[in-house]
Amino acid sequence: MSSRSGPQSGQTALLFLPGDSLLHRANPLTSLIFMLWMISAAAVLPTIGTTILIVAGVALSFAMGVGPRVTKRLVITMLPLLVALLVVHGFLVSRPDFIPLVGPLTYSPTGLEYAAQVVTRIGAMLTASLIFVTTTHPGDILKSLDQRGVSPGVSYLIASPLLLIEPFSERAKAIRDAQRARGLDLTSTFKARFKALPALLIPLITLALSDLDHRASILNSRAFRAQKHRTVIDAPPDDRFQVWLRRVLIVLAIAQLGIPLLWR
Amino acid sequence: MALIKVEDLFFRYPQAKAPVLDGLSVAFEQGERVAILAPNAAGKTTLARWLAGLYPDGGLVAERGHVSMDGKPWPQWSAAERAAAVQFVGQVPSQQLTGCAFTVYEEIAFGPCNLALPEGEVRARVEQALAVCNLKHLAKRDPFTLSGGEQQRLSIAAALAMQPRVLILDEPTSNLDPESRDDFIAQLDALPAGLTVIVFEVALRPSLGLARRFMLLDEGRIVVDGTPETVLAHPRCIETLGMTAVARAAFEIREAGRWPEGLALPLTLAVAEQSFREAARA
Repeated sequence: MSSRSGPQSGQTALLFLPGDSLLHRANPLTSLIFMLWMISAAAVLPTIGTTILIVAGVALSFAMGVGPRVTKRLVITMLPLLVALLVVHGFLVSRPDFIPLVGPLTYSPTGLEYAAQVVTRIGAMLTASLIFVTTTHPGDILKSLDQRGVSPGVSYLIASPLLLIEPFSERAKAIRDAQRARGLDLTSTFKARFKALPALLIPLITLALSDLDHRASILNSRAFRAQKHRTVIDAPPDDRFQVWLRRVLIVLAIAQLGIPLLWR
Repeated sequence: MALIKVEDLFFRYPQAKAPVLDGLSVAFEQGERVAILAPNAAGKTTLARWLAGLYPDGGLVAERGHVSMDGKPWPQWSAAERAAAVQFVGQVPSQQLTGCAFTVYEEIAFGPCNLALPEGEVRARVEQALAVCNLKHLAKRDPFTLSGGEQQRLSIAAALAMQPRVLILDEPTSNLDPESRDDFIAQLDALPAGLTVIVFEVALRPSLGLARRFMLLDEGRIVVDGTPETVLAHPRCIETLGMTAVARAAFEIREAGRWPEGLALPLTLAVAEQSFREAARA
């Protein structure tokens, strides 16, 4: 087995892109703390700062070989939000500084400013998260947490939603096909589709609940949580530099969040 | 002392009128290969879960009797002790996956890692289980993307990696095609002699390859317990599960009055040739 999760190590890696960049080789905890530092910076910086953070983040993603995927996801997610926030805060929400634009249309500069602040803040946080998930395999995060002695229950809470997406959606498709074979109308009017929802959701939820019982039984028989700590195989490498880097980033993140609060 | 002992077990599910297990008593010795045959809804999975120590669990308790291993009832075993002693593999393959592993390799290693074994030992156990269940070529695959038969082999490999003393399999060949089934039976036959294997089956042919001791479970009780010849020729077994193709052919010849008096019906092709020769001579 390879020492780290690579391109062939399972297909359930969501947005992860295999590579050999600095962030790909970094310990997952270092990448995680780096992401948290970026998020904390985005939470306190003014609009110009968060804009620079987005640009820097996108540049970093290209340097790490994940640029196209990060940019695509960022644009797909942020574009509708940008339009909605600009329209709502710039043109619809009543503010004292409304200025006529064209005909009856008026806009508020402070509303637009506020929308830009919110959008760039969310954009910077999303950029940080995307860089993290595209350069860090979920399996490596879990190994890293296990290595640090984090409770196996916490690791399971992180892993199981990622891993169960695939079988859950397969089951949803099977239920849809089975119900259609029994004459359920899923192709005509919106009303008919809405009426069909319970016939799809009820079996899906019932089966998911039944699965919980089986899963608990399997975990039990595989001695899950029987010992305080688990053995970690193929543990991600770590070194003193990364340990210190993480400490510095944590202090910085706390300072970034704490100083503005104290200042007020 | 019997390895696993069931004593007068009487169990019914909450709100159910009829019991699933009706005062059942049975014992299993170390190294035995046992097939428990039963028609659908006869209580196979329930008995399997009792044998595996998964019951009693919460409100699911016996009204009478208990199951013990090495003379110690299951409730007195810790989770780690029980997991290292007995493993149960259910019949729906996708429900046998832990949902906590990104690869087949990790799925098999999950249990040994939970026992906090040294990394070298975990790797050795995983390699051995991969080899026994013919999964080496799938080691890096996502468990949830495997076929039903592959998932079945994976769940058995994960159970074997715990190096249990007892392996309980609930209809293990139900998702396998004939070729994979024969391979699987051969692989099970190659397991360490000291391992007790208890197989719950509805299919007669794979059971013959898996076990030396047979039982028929019907209406919550063991109706007959003995050699394959005794159990498979039992009228209730024929009534509920039918016969193997070879036995059916011999049975028809006997019904036609052309089978030698006192000659047992053959169960497998290997035995049939001699029996049919004798029948032809008679």
